[in-house]
This record gives sequence, C-alpha cells and structure tokens, in this order.
Amino acid sequence: MASTTGTHQTQPTMPGSMGERAGGPFVGRRSRTGNVRTWLAAYALLAPALVGLAVFRLYPIALAAWGSLHTSTFGEGGGRVFVGLDNYRYLVAEPTFWSSLWVTLKLNLVINPLQVALALGLAVLADQRFPGIRAYRTAFFIPIGVSIPIAALIWRIMLDPNAGLVNAVLTAIGLPAQPFLTSADQALWAIVLIATWKGVSFWMVFLLAGLQNIPADLHEAAMLDGASPVQRFFQITLPLLRRTLLFVLVTDTAINFLLFAPVYLLTAGGPELSTNLLMYEAYKTGFVFADMGLALAMVMVLLALVLVVVAAEFRLLQSEEG
Amino acid sequence: MVSVRTPALKRVLVHLGYLLVALVFVFPLWWALSSSLRPVDDVFRYTSPFSLKALYPSEPTLAAYREIFAGKGFGRAILNTFLVSAATVVGGIAVAALAGFAFARIEFPGRRVLFVLTVVTFMVPFEGIAIPLYDLMGSLGWTDTYAALIAPGVANGVAIFLFRQFFAEIPQDLVDAARLDGAGWLTVLVQIFLPLSKPVAIGASLLLFLFQWESFLWPLIAVRSEQYKVVQVALGDFQLQFQTLWDQLFAASVVAAAIPLLILLPLQGYYVRSLVGTGIK
Repeated sequence: MASTTGTHQTQPTMPGSMGERAGGPFVGRRSRTGNVRTWLAAYALLAPALVGLAVFRLYPIALAAWGSLHTSTFGEGGGRVFVGLDNYRYLVAEPTFWSSLWVTLKLNLVINPLQVALALGLAVLADQRFPGIRAYRTAFFIPIGVSIPIAALIWRIMLDPNAGLVNAVLTAIGLPAQPFLTSADQALWAIVLIATWKGVSFWMVFLLAGLQNIPADLHEAAMLDGASPVQRFFQITLPLLRRTLLFVLVTDTAINFLLFAPVYLLTAGGPELSTNLLMYEAYKTGFVFADMGLALAMVMVLLALVLVVVAAEFRLLQSEEG
Repeated sequence: MVSVRTPALKRVLVHLGYLLVALVFVFPLWWALSSSLRPVDDVFRYTSPFSLKALYPSEPTLAAYREIFAGKGFGRAILNTFLVSAATVVGGIAVAALAGFAFARIEFPGRRVLFVLTVVTFMVPFEGIAIPLYDLMGSLGWTDTYAALIAPGVANGVAIFLFRQFFAEIPQDLVDAARLDGAGWLTVLVQIFLPLSKPVAIGASLLLFLFQWESFLWPLIAVRSEQYKVVQVALGDFQLQFQTLWDQLFAASVVAAAIPLLILLPLQGYYVRSLVGTGIK
C-alpha cells in the first residue's frame, strides 16, 4: 500500500532516498538536546491529530471490545455485568448471525472487485482527450454529490416493482418486469447496484489522479515500439497504477464491509433476511433490541474481519510486485 | 482516442458510448429534479404505463421547494450541516497539515508506528465505532450538541495521509534555504509549505466536507432533537408513517445533492490533482 511503503522513502537509513533529504536539516547534525527538541516539535505538531484519533477512533474500539464482554441488566439501576466471552459464544450458536455473516461476505465478494474494475474503466474514459470530454467528466462526477441515503431513495423509486421507471422501460421494450428490492433473490444485488452507482464515481477520482500521474512519454515510447492500446494498458498503466488501486481497494473494502444506510433505508434486512448485513444486524441488536453487549460483539467480529481481509488484499497485491 | 483524423463515424460512435455512460450517472438525479418540479399527484403519473412525459416536468411548479423551506424547516437542517461541515473542514485541515508536515519532514522515534496507526484508523470507518462512540459522548456530556457531530470528524486519517504525501514531494532546497536563514520548523511550514498546499488543501477539504455532509448513521444516533438535525436525517421528515410526501422528498434530495456539487464541480481539477499522492512511488 502506498502509505506504509511510503514511509520507506523518508527513512534516513536509505541513502539517496528522498527521505534523507526530507529528514536532513532536522536530525543528526546537532547536539543531543537539539535532537530532543526536534522530536518534541514533531510530537507537538502531531498532538492534535493523535489525540483526536486516539479519543474518537482507537478508544471507541477499545470500548467496543470491553463492552462486548458485558451484558446489560434491566430493572433497577440497569447496570452492566461482566460475562466474559458469553456474547461471542451466543453468536457462534446463533443461525441469524451466521446467515448475516454470509450475506456480508457474499456482498463484499462481488461489490469490491466490481466497484474497483468499473471505477478504473470510468477513469480511463475520463482520462481521454477530445473536444467535449469535460462535459462527460462532469457527468461522471455527479454521484459524488449524491449521498448514499439520497441515492438509496432515488433508486428505490426507480426500482419500484409497480410504478418504477426501470420496470416501465423494461416492459416498454418487451422484457418482463422485475421485483428488485422486494425479492429475496434480487434485493442484495439491487443494494450492490445502488452502492456501486455512487462508489464508482467516487473512486474514479482517485484512479483518474493516478492515471494522470503516469508520464506521457512512457506511452509514447511504447507506441513507437508498436504496442497496441490494450498492451499499453496492461504493461504500463496497470503496473504503475498498482498503489492507487491498492489504496482504493482497501479503503473501499473497509467501507463496504460496514455498509449500513441502504439496508436501513430500503429493506430493513429483508426480504427473508436476504439483505441482513452484519452491520445492520448489529444496529438492530443494539438500538432496537437494546442488547448492546451482543451488538458490540458483532462489531468486533466485523472489525476483525475487515482487518483480515484488508491484510489479505495487501499480501495479494504486494506479492505480485516481487 | 478521438483525434482530428479519426473518421466521422468513429467519432459519433465514441460520443454515443460516452453519452450512454454519462446518462447512467446523470439520469437518477435528473429524474429526482423533474419529479420535484411536478405537482404531487403527478409524481408517478407517467411511469406506469410509461410515457415520455415521465422524463420531464410538463407543468413545472416550485410548490415543493416552497413547502420544504417555509413549512418543514429544511433550511435549518442545511444550516446545521453547513456549520458542522465548515467547522470540520477548518479544524480538520489545520490538524492534518500539522501532522502531515511532521510525518513527511521531521525524523523522530516512533514515526513509522504512528503513521501506520494513522492509516489503520481510516480502515475503520465510522459505522463500526458508532455504538461505542455514542457511549463516549454520553460520558463527555456531549450527546445532543454540535460538538458530538463535529469532534469525531476533525482528526481524519485520509486527510493526514494526503497532506503527508503532498509535503513529502516538496523540494528540500526550499527548506534548506529557509533553514540557513534561521527559520524554525513552524516558519517553514507556514511560509513555505502552506502557500504551496492549495491543491491538497482543496482535496482534503472536499473529503472532510463530504464526510460530514453525507453522514447519516452517526447524527441519527448522536443527536435526537430537531434543533441539531442534519440534512441526511431530515430527509426522513418527508416520509411520514402512512404517507410519503414524494414531491417534497425529491425537492429536499435535489437541494441536498446540489450543494456539494456546486462546490465540487468548479474545483474538480484541484480535487483530482490533490489525490495524485495516493499512488506515488
């Protein structure tokens, strides 16, 4: 991933790297107290960010982990009781948990590769140069301004089985009308469609930036060697875009594993639990059924899952480099 | 690619292809816009059976827009969201610029670990920690305040990452010259780095702005009173228990989408440039 490998550049132990120059004037050449002063300066600059991240990101994770080992008691006081791993034990024995875990995995297996591939395609389209391209590029940007709740709303109406525009068009051209969100077979894929419509546009911007960063002379040289556009895409564009692709894939995965709003707004997990994503199940358990301990146990499972999958994506894409 | 020498037929085909793709992205919002301009009884009138009148408002009216602002107080929600987003952008840029500078330009023990930790925090999206964060806000006494909405968004791992990548690319000569003149690190940051940071500042601002403008689950949980209601949550006001006010719901959606787009579209060039850093080296 760009970030972690990025830190290599600024390690002063790598001679000639940009990082040595970057670190240069602040290190090494002065007394030990000078060093300490520089370190303190760095920590002072970092303090607001680190405090913010620690309090509002890392501490809540610790709270979630701790809370998942408790259960709420009702009645007078309504305190919490430490129950150890009971919540996790309960989850493992609960078929609803397994089915929503499976729904979450199924969605992610499809949506992440799909979004990254489509976003790359769209970025390649947006990167072309000809009169009028600016208007198209602007059109491709539109969904970025449309939030997931609004996208969910508009698409719900467009996909309405009776009065929706998509079915109106389908029947007008002689195809059968589809049930979309009202069918256990199609609802999850309708959610994928809605989230992808929004996501592809957002991730396109990152990939477009990556494409525009590839030096034009590389393409020109390959063109002189007689490489076809397809060859150039696979031999120049893709390898040079790997870091951006990894950034997009990893961030997108983390977002999609915790996808919540479309399910909350459109299907409430149904029909027949076919869209009961784990994040929605956790929300329901915590805020509707008021079993916070169990809900937090689900969140911990989700976070662990995200970290495992993201680590696997790193491995996969970085080993290709070697 | 289309150049001057490309035959006319091929050029037409390319434009047709692009139009088709563009339509996929533009149409849903266009449809929301034209529905919002219809009288409420006509919203679904032309879709089943389908008529071309479904694609544009035949008797446009602004009644829905008047109602959401005058009757439903949607303006308040927009104002709230603006306030929250603006505070997050200002605070977030300051925090990210300082941290990005330290990560990119100063050597100190623990830099690697802290940077990796920062990156990991943006692998943990908000939804995952919303429930414990709610408990935390309760113990801080911040439930149902603007602070509950703003504070968690200010330190943003992606914004820090973008600033760090951008600052790492600035030539060392500029820093050296200033250092020879006896400038401290804060002077270097303010006088040399910040003036060059326009693209990354705009890119990070838009990320921070969109993060708040679009947040839904967190405000839904963290603030309960009308007074602090934000845009995405306020959209629920048009879906009553037994009836949905479709024309108003569409009008509110169009307004909620138009505002970030009006800010985003003129700046798209900067936005793209600022994100170049996610891929370099």
